[in-house]
Amino acid sequence: MSDETATATGAGRSEPTFVIEPGPHVHSSETTSKIMWTVNAALAPAALWGVVVFGWPALAVLAGSIAGALGSEWATNRLLKSRTSLRDGSAFCTGLLLAMTLPPLLPAWAAFLGGIFAIVFAKAIFGGLGYNLFNPALVGRAFLMATFPLAMTSGWFSAAPWFGGVDAMTTATPLGALRERGIEAAMGVMGGPGSPTVNLLIGLRPGSIGEVSVLLLLAGGVFLLARRIISPTIPLAVVAGVVLTTGASGHLGLHLLSGGLWLGALFMATDYVTSPSTRNGQIVFGLLIGALTGVIRLYGGYPEGICYAILIANTMVPALNLWFRPRRPVFAGAPS
Amino acid sequence: MATERIELKTFGRGGVHPSTHKRDTALLAVEAISPLPPEVWLPLVQHLGEPAVPLVKKGDRVVRGQKIADGGATGAPLHATISGKVKPIDKRPHPTLVSVDSIIIARDGEEEQEFPEDPGWRSLAREEMLGRIREAGIVGLGGAAFPTYRKLTLPPGARVDTFILNGAECEPYLTSDHRLMLEEPGAIVEGALAMARLLGVKRVLVGIEADKMPAVEALRTAARDVPLGEQTFEAVPCEVRYPQGAERQLVTALTGRVIPPRSLPSAVGVLVQNVATAQAVHHAIRYRRPLLDRIVTVSGPGVLQPKNLRVPIGTLLQALVDACGGMRPDTTRLIAGGPMMGRALPRLDLPVIKGMNGLLLLTGRGPMEDGFGPCIQCGRCLDSCPLGLEPDQVSIRVEAGRVLDTDPYGPLDCYECGCCTYVCPSGRPLLQFMQVAKSALRRAIEVKVKV
Repeated sequence: MSDETATATGAGRSEPTFVIEPGPHVHSSETTSKIMWTVNAALAPAALWGVVVFGWPALAVLAGSIAGALGSEWATNRLLKSRTSLRDGSAFCTGLLLAMTLPPLLPAWAAFLGGIFAIVFAKAIFGGLGYNLFNPALVGRAFLMATFPLAMTSGWFSAAPWFGGVDAMTTATPLGALRERGIEAAMGVMGGPGSPTVNLLIGLRPGSIGEVSVLLLLAGGVFLLARRIISPTIPLAVVAGVVLTTGASGHLGLHLLSGGLWLGALFMATDYVTSPSTRNGQIVFGLLIGALTGVIRLYGGYPEGICYAILIANTMVPALNLWFRPRRPVFAGAPS
Repeated sequence: MATERIELKTFGRGGVHPSTHKRDTALLAVEAISPLPPEVWLPLVQHLGEPAVPLVKKGDRVVRGQKIADGGATGAPLHATISGKVKPIDKRPHPTLVSVDSIIIARDGEEEQEFPEDPGWRSLAREEMLGRIREAGIVGLGGAAFPTYRKLTLPPGARVDTFILNGAECEPYLTSDHRLMLEEPGAIVEGALAMARLLGVKRVLVGIEADKMPAVEALRTAARDVPLGEQTFEAVPCEVRYPQGAERQLVTALTGRVIPPRSLPSAVGVLVQNVATAQAVHHAIRYRRPLLDRIVTVSGPGVLQPKNLRVPIGTLLQALVDACGGMRPDTTRLIAGGPMMGRALPRLDLPVIKGMNGLLLLTGRGPMEDGFGPCIQCGRCLDSCPLGLEPDQVSIRVEAGRVLDTDPYGPLDCYECGCCTYVCPSGRPLLQFMQVAKSALRRAIEVKVKV
């Protein structure tokens, strides 16, 4: 329609002509790249905390993973002749998230490979941003679990050896210790001077680079909630699912404060592309993730488990979108 | 002092909150355009319905107020809006239809036909009222421009118990209805009551967004000076939330009733008219005065002096811009109506038509000029749709060439408020995807019916 009007501008007149566009002619200030970079900013404090407590190896893992993700994003853009998407922040986000799920002692080149795998096989192969079924960062992590099983399950070391003068040494994560040797051992692997709960909240304990500081992850999550980039639905449902399954285990506190629960619930389960679009779908999705996490931790093969819980729940998203659609206003006539 | 908390009415799901930009013009009284335009173009097609049939020819002298074209069976008549000589009837550019036969009048005087008050105007028969509204050439002045006498002629079997006056004015920038409610509240109330009487309706409600509380007060005060008889008149403040002024949304806000998809408000016993239409109807009934002028909000960052102008219909947009001190050189876009549902115009040598409530001059690049990205399934469009439709699903299927698979996601129900496009962070033209799907589905339905 607008084209017709544009041709009617007529030749031979010196009137100024204006841009013809379909409406609306104003737009909210939110853009995809703004959203992605805001998520990256919300993740940054927890990631940097990982560098503080685990030192240079953690920084090398972060750099390797992000470089792998950005490099392969650039390469696949070129290969598929698609618009360059480096600046939209999504590949950076994948690399950052992946690194945050990795143990600090993983070789940086393994993290680099993980970043490449995440972008190429979980994103580009599906058609790029918006089309992937699985969370790319978690696919990268699953790939590394299969290819570097030893480093991925024993690459931990005590947090902040500069506290209390303990030498850096490899150790188990709290949930790993709980599984192998019971609650006493789990409490024993913490690194800081405070009580175990305080250490868990601050992030003075062995674990993946970005998962350890619950407080900084919560702060980032609250920031995203306040910016209305995420809604509380999925995170709350995930936590509810974990409470329902691990509540009777006697170690609910430990389950809630460790094992990457908050990194997963706030930043990975809420990924737009790989989560349902309607609230009811999101509730089911979150509960499923929480429950699967609990079941894997209590009965499965891994002490943690939110990674696989999210990947399994990702498979349900198309079905959940089909089952839970927006409700249309119901016809209501005049009162008779 | 205890502050009184006003409960604001609103609709159910969806909607958006764009910056309103109303402060630029809300306090500016309506001023008549000066100087009067040297020429007006009156397109024979202003709105839905048959083209008007000219009653004058080249060289005739016409006086402001004189009927110059007949409306035919479904249209509305046209009147001379300035006094002067008729130039050859010729094709002229039109704001919504490429180019249309138009009656062109060159001004040579300032006289106007007299429209004396009819002393019996309060007790006119239904047919007489309808006839006067029709003869006055009144159409919906809120933008849709559907002939008012046709809207007031209910389909057989329809029963209406509530008359709603639309003073929501939810589009950003626009304040023409706001100013009219402040400056001529009596005429609006009288016009609304008359239309309600004509329909046999006792209950009259006015919906006004709460950023116009002085207008709510003005209408309430005016209603106290009017003999109501058995009728009731209530001005209701509504939440400032786009698209509060869409018929569907306003009906739900004020009555709690929900119009079924693709139906008219009469399906739930309601008829909606805009406040400016009510004012024009009052003048038609009381003085037999035709629709000659309308108020246009001229605003936006590209205008040097934003104004609410009363202009003769047919005035060229260039004259409006000139009356507002001209435009900034960085003006890039010209919009007829509001920025959400208004239409981009290519040029300033176009006439004001009856339904044009605003003229916006915008600067900078438009939201669609830089292309768009893939759907990231954030769900913002789903949350913003007042009807619960699924623009994301429609857009993905249209992109994949599966236009006819979009029906379950609702494009046929879409009334094109544009909330989905407004919120999409990937800048996807979701409304256009809905339109493409809608017209393809309609065509498919037609073909099926014929075969």
